[in-house]
Amino acid sequence: MNSNLKKINIYAIYLGAIILILPLIAFFINAFSFRWFYPQVIPKELSLQAWVRLKLIPKSGQRSFEGFIDLWASNPAVIKALINSLTIGFLVTVVSIIIALPAARVLGLLNFRFKKLIIFIMVSPTILPPIAFVLGLNINFISLGFSGSFLGVCLVHLVPIMPYVVLTMTGIFANYNPDFEHQARTLGANKTKTFFLITLPAIAPGMVVAALFAFLVSWSQYLLTFLIGAGKVMTLPLLVFSTASSGNPALTAAISIIFIFPAILILFFTSKFVSGESGATSGFGKI
Amino acid sequence: MKFKIKFITLAIISLFFSKLVSAETAPGFGSWDDVLKAADGGQVNVYMWGGSDAINGFVDDFYGVPLKEKYNITLNRVPLAGTVDAVNQVLSEKEAGVTGDNGNIDLIWINGENFWTLKQAQLLYGPFAAGLPNSKFVAWDNPAVNLDFGRPVDGMESPWSSAQFHFMYDSARNNYDDMPRSYAELSDWIAANPGRFTYIRPGKGGFVGTRFVKQIFFELSGGQEQWVGPFNQELYDKWAPKVWELLNSWEKNLWRSGETYPKDNAEMHSLFANGEVDLDFTQSPRGAGPTNTAGTTPPTSRAFAFYDNMIGDFNYWAIPYNAPNKAAALVYANLVLEPELQAAQVQPANGFCCGWGISTAKVTDAAGKAAINDAQNNLGDAAEDQNILAKALVSDIAAEYQDLIEADWEANVLLK
Repeated sequence: MNSNLKKINIYAIYLGAIILILPLIAFFINAFSFRWFYPQVIPKELSLQAWVRLKLIPKSGQRSFEGFIDLWASNPAVIKALINSLTIGFLVTVVSIIIALPAARVLGLLNFRFKKLIIFIMVSPTILPPIAFVLGLNINFISLGFSGSFLGVCLVHLVPIMPYVVLTMTGIFANYNPDFEHQARTLGANKTKTFFLITLPAIAPGMVVAALFAFLVSWSQYLLTFLIGAGKVMTLPLLVFSTASSGNPALTAAISIIFIFPAILILFFTSKFVSGESGATSGFGKI
Repeated sequence: MKFKIKFITLAIISLFFSKLVSAETAPGFGSWDDVLKAADGGQVNVYMWGGSDAINGFVDDFYGVPLKEKYNITLNRVPLAGTVDAVNQVLSEKEAGVTGDNGNIDLIWINGENFWTLKQAQLLYGPFAAGLPNSKFVAWDNPAVNLDFGRPVDGMESPWSSAQFHFMYDSARNNYDDMPRSYAELSDWIAANPGRFTYIRPGKGGFVGTRFVKQIFFELSGGQEQWVGPFNQELYDKWAPKVWELLNSWEKNLWRSGETYPKDNAEMHSLFANGEVDLDFTQSPRGAGPTNTAGTTPPTSRAFAFYDNMIGDFNYWAIPYNAPNKAAALVYANLVLEPELQAAQVQPANGFCCGWGISTAKVTDAAGKAAINDAQNNLGDAAEDQNILAKALVSDIAAEYQDLIEADWEANVLLK
């Protein structure tokens, strides 16, 4: 009975994996196909045209080493957007963690009046659809001079990110015992030393998970980036959306691969922190 | 008597102003040289629908390069999912009190309702169109150019290119001679080929579908002429029920029995390319050429037009009132009207899909003429006979019809 259950579990995992991976395979075939129409089961014509149009691979005849260098040096829009997305994602991740640290510590360790209300208010951006607040926010940002600027986009990304980061880290602090810090202090360590030797190692796994959330939420922002960036701050989601409306499946698939690749890479490297065995997720229930 | 004098005075004043409007330069600049000087070293932020990589590539290559090399202007092309996004941005900036040169947008690729929204709210810079040196190539006396969806352009936008509604079929599946040439013939064709036709749902993103339905009004009412001019509710009310009746009579023979309709060009092309329906729409004077090249329709796709009532229109560039670099915007709007570049946008090899923004007859210099002739002789076999297209050409009508048709189609056809 027990072994049957295990078997079923394993099949379920396989099924889940197939469901996750199949669309990715379709992406790859699409991105290298040309005129892949019904009733062809697999594409008759393979082509790099999508990648040529994205200016990532030179036109045929120029596919020498120099050709690649020339093309990439011309700063294609995709590369520019990729760099922007990565930079914004990294910056807002760091900033969100710095802001969330003290907040999460208080929420996780202390009990006080209106705590539930404060948590509710902090989570509210995840309940509200972005369009509900961004139009009003946009007008404020314009009059403050943040519109169309890199800084403005970073700031607005913090809005949907903060709830995830604060909640994740609050969970960590709920399981955290500050007595260790007192011990270090009584043994003569100063505040900075205590933080780096005691606090940080204890909360690090949770911080990685929080950072992962922060980065992925920032990575997929379309509406906020578009409105606050006023189209001047070009990120990958903006390119993905406008390309998808072109109705060219090869091109859409190619740019989607570029879009999901960094996210998959980061998930891969942080997966051990996200899995159940890690201490990072254990504190979730006790907020 | 007093009234008459007043009227004459007004007429004189307005004449005087219309003279001013057609004066040589755009507001804020003394001469075209002033414009060039002010534009030197700047950046022009061009906001345009980014859904066609062929158009995107054309703008980058054919405008970006000469802008940099000839005028020292950097092109920043901003792709939009829809032009309305740029309109909303300008409206937000207005609400936030951003004036002068402090906006974000220098140029918007625009026509129809979006133009009217901005013009009515006085959020556009101008009149500038007549101040462009290349304005002399534009057929400003043609109502298809000086009216945008029946609304006066008044020099607040300058043309880029043109488009005309017609159809595509796949020559591997159907014959040119069997294609319907009117809505009456299309009705018969649908009855004879159940499940093989659908049309783009009129509504957001389905502007081409709205156009398809609008043309039915023209055919049933006996011609487009009576629809020109200001919006006429009575005329609409007279013909609308007959249009819905016709569309409903098709429904059982449409793709998926008309339970659902493709929502935009991309979905329509996909249905056509995958063999689910036999007819598709195009707006390009090159017919199926652009989509064949892009690989979104089968390479055997060809074009055909009805013999009447095929709506054609122009699309334009407009400059917001708070554009940060108006001079560079003017240089760009002028550049796109260069005869050689206009010829380039019609040449199939360059991948652009739209037609002329200028009147080719007005070009007199040899190089320009040669480029134009070459382009016209080179439209490719995926295009419909240009004489058939020209004969069927009618202009679009007042923008109010658009909203009305979209709302009423949903109530009377989709949800009926």
